[in-house]
Amino acid sequence: MTKVMGPADGSGLLQIQSACVSFGAVEVLAGVDLELRKGEFVCVIGPSGSGKTTLLRLLAGLLPPTSGSVTFRGKAHTKPSRDVAIVFQDYANALLPWRTAEANVSLALEAAGVPRAQRPARIRELLNKVGLGNSTQKYPTEMSGGMQQRLQIARCLAQEPDVLLMDEPFGALDAMTRQKLQDEVLAIVAESSVTAFFVTHDLEEAIYLGDRIIALEPNPGRVCRVFDVNLPRPRNQLSTREMPEFLRLRRELFDFIQQFEQ
Amino acid sequence: MSLLRGLAIPAALILLWQGLAMWHDLQSDTLAAPREIILALGAALTGSTIWKDTADTFAAGGLGLALGFGLGAATGVLFGILPPLSRLMRVTVELLRPLPSISIVPIALLIFGFGYSLEIAIVAFATYFPVLVLTENAVRQIEPRLWEVARALDLSFAARVIKIVVPAVVPRLFVALRLAAGIALIVAITVEIAANPMGLGARLMQASASLRPADMFATLFWVAYLGWLLNWVMLRLQGLLFPATRGAPR
Amino acid sequence: MKASRQMFWFLASVGVFVVLLAGWQALADARLLPRAFFPGPDLTWRALQRGLASGDMLQDTFTTLRRLALGWALASVIGVGLGAIVGTSAWARAWVAPMFEALRPLPASAIAPVVMLLLGLTDAMILTLIAFGALWPMLLTTVHGFSSIHPRRLEVAQSLGLSRVELIWKIALPGALPDIMSGLRLGLTVALILVVVGEMITVQGGLGSSILLAARAFNAPGIFAGIAVLGVIGLVTNAFFAWVEKYALRWQRR
Repeated sequence: MTKVMGPADGSGLLQIQSACVSFGAVEVLAGVDLELRKGEFVCVIGPSGSGKTTLLRLLAGLLPPTSGSVTFRGKAHTKPSRDVAIVFQDYANALLPWRTAEANVSLALEAAGVPRAQRPARIRELLNKVGLGNSTQKYPTEMSGGMQQRLQIARCLAQEPDVLLMDEPFGALDAMTRQKLQDEVLAIVAESSVTAFFVTHDLEEAIYLGDRIIALEPNPGRVCRVFDVNLPRPRNQLSTREMPEFLRLRRELFDFIQQFEQ
Repeated sequence: MSLLRGLAIPAALILLWQGLAMWHDLQSDTLAAPREIILALGAALTGSTIWKDTADTFAAGGLGLALGFGLGAATGVLFGILPPLSRLMRVTVELLRPLPSISIVPIALLIFGFGYSLEIAIVAFATYFPVLVLTENAVRQIEPRLWEVARALDLSFAARVIKIVVPAVVPRLFVALRLAAGIALIVAITVEIAANPMGLGARLMQASASLRPADMFATLFWVAYLGWLLNWVMLRLQGLLFPATRGAPR
Repeated sequence: MKASRQMFWFLASVGVFVVLLAGWQALADARLLPRAFFPGPDLTWRALQRGLASGDMLQDTFTTLRRLALGWALASVIGVGLGAIVGTSAWARAWVAPMFEALRPLPASAIAPVVMLLLGLTDAMILTLIAFGALWPMLLTTVHGFSSIHPRRLEVAQSLGLSRVELIWKIALPGALPDIMSGLRLGLTVALILVVVGEMITVQGGLGSSILLAARAFNAPGIFAGIAVLGVIGLVTNAFFAWVEKYALRWQRR
């Protein structure tokens, strides 16, 4: 598949220009500018009410901005595209409980019109990649939360997306599962050179995963600061988290969040 | 606004029906124009027989409901707090439960003859099993903590029933009562249509048999209205008495 | 271990049923029950045997089953079809669904006189009665099933780029299946009641007419035999449905 290149500078794959979003009289986002460059990993943090999820839905094309614009590869992005995959936090609702793991991944291939004969091999490869090679015939209700989220990621990868949007994907998982999945997502992103956009309320998670961290401020939501994460890759759960740069960023982000807590 | 939208289609259908009836100068033994039906309903409601029939249906249905609900709830509570008893009776209950209630009409007819007793017996039979099942489930789903409390306080069997089971189960018992009331009305009218020559069901049958479609449709709308009203009143009562049950299945 | 305990309770509960039957028999033998109303299991069994041997009862059972199946199938096609249309269209939900809801408490048997007037005391009248009565629970549960798709699933469908047909076929329909199944089962219960009502009114053969005629002849064993067969029909159809449901909804198990 040949990929259409972005605008002249070649960097802004998915762009938001001075976007505002209001629900009735409530202004959720006010004048947000954001640019996702090809291949980078952007994390978003912010106190509750800062419009993190709204920002993600804007990028997904699930929500049109009240004013301003969203462009994908230089064209107006007004509805969801197969090239922008979304990993939702509530995996139980995002998966189809009546389809096995295999069939859930297959849904994305069916939607993309992949011929029936080519599907099984693709599905097997994707499930192996997320560590579900032994659970292909299981229904979501027979899987743990971590496995279900892996399955959702596999389905998103089946879309062969250019952008992977993740909305607090590990928010409902326990600490151990969370760390394992963080490493798996980093490996997948590194391998496929997909552009990642990751919403989280866990500051350390944002530093551990991201190249850049967007910090939103609330009421109404705006981009307040952008932090560049200059930590070497591949990252490591022990050594990366002990680096002075990691600790410095953690301190800065913590102070940033703290100012909104009364 | 949504109420108006909901009324639009039925209103249009009635107008269409009236229009067609006038267009074709309807003279029929089987159909009646809305205007005639409204006139018939007005005449019936200002007379006395429809009120007598309504009272008969509600009396028989109500008494049957009281009997079926009382026995069903008592059995349900017993089965709920004594699981071995419930397990022992399982096959008997599961064999009797799917029996269509109307099929025992002939035997009840032999025993009681026509009249109130026949209808009360069938309604009681029809409401007994649903109430039994709902009550047993309600008792089963009492917070296990409450049982621990009861054990810690060393409550007697009677005290457990009165202090733990009843307060925890009453709201759900009311839901069972509401559903059983709907069943009672349906079964009462069904018995009257199939066999028992009294009440609104028999009134419908007589109007049909003597080729009076306007009266028949008037009674049908009256029955529909009563069914709707009963449901509405019970839902209102439930919301008032037990605000916590508002999310329960309708 | 768990299975053997379940087996124990099942057998014990069969035992209780047998004891109850024996008790009924003992009461009947001791003339403690009025024989005209409660003939005892032995006489009922004999009436059942006689009926089956002469072929009358088999014929009636077959007639009732045929009406039940046809009426129920007709109701399923109309109820689920119409329910799917109304449930998937926001427009139809707003304009038509309130009318369905308002009609829901109407006793299905109350339209028997109307159908009787239109179609007379015929086979068609019974079928129409069953189909019309059993249609409502199916229609309402189907509408509910289709209109309560989780919004997240719609977003997933959008994100994957599913067509509208694919959305209905692959997401809405399987999601509505639990509701549709419960509607079909509810409809079956209603249909069984209505087939008996219809046969009692029309006396056009079938078990409903046969037990009514038995009552007129003061033939209590005949009534009990008919009721027993109806009970078995109820039991078997319910069990069959429970099995189908368990298979079709196996993904719901945890």
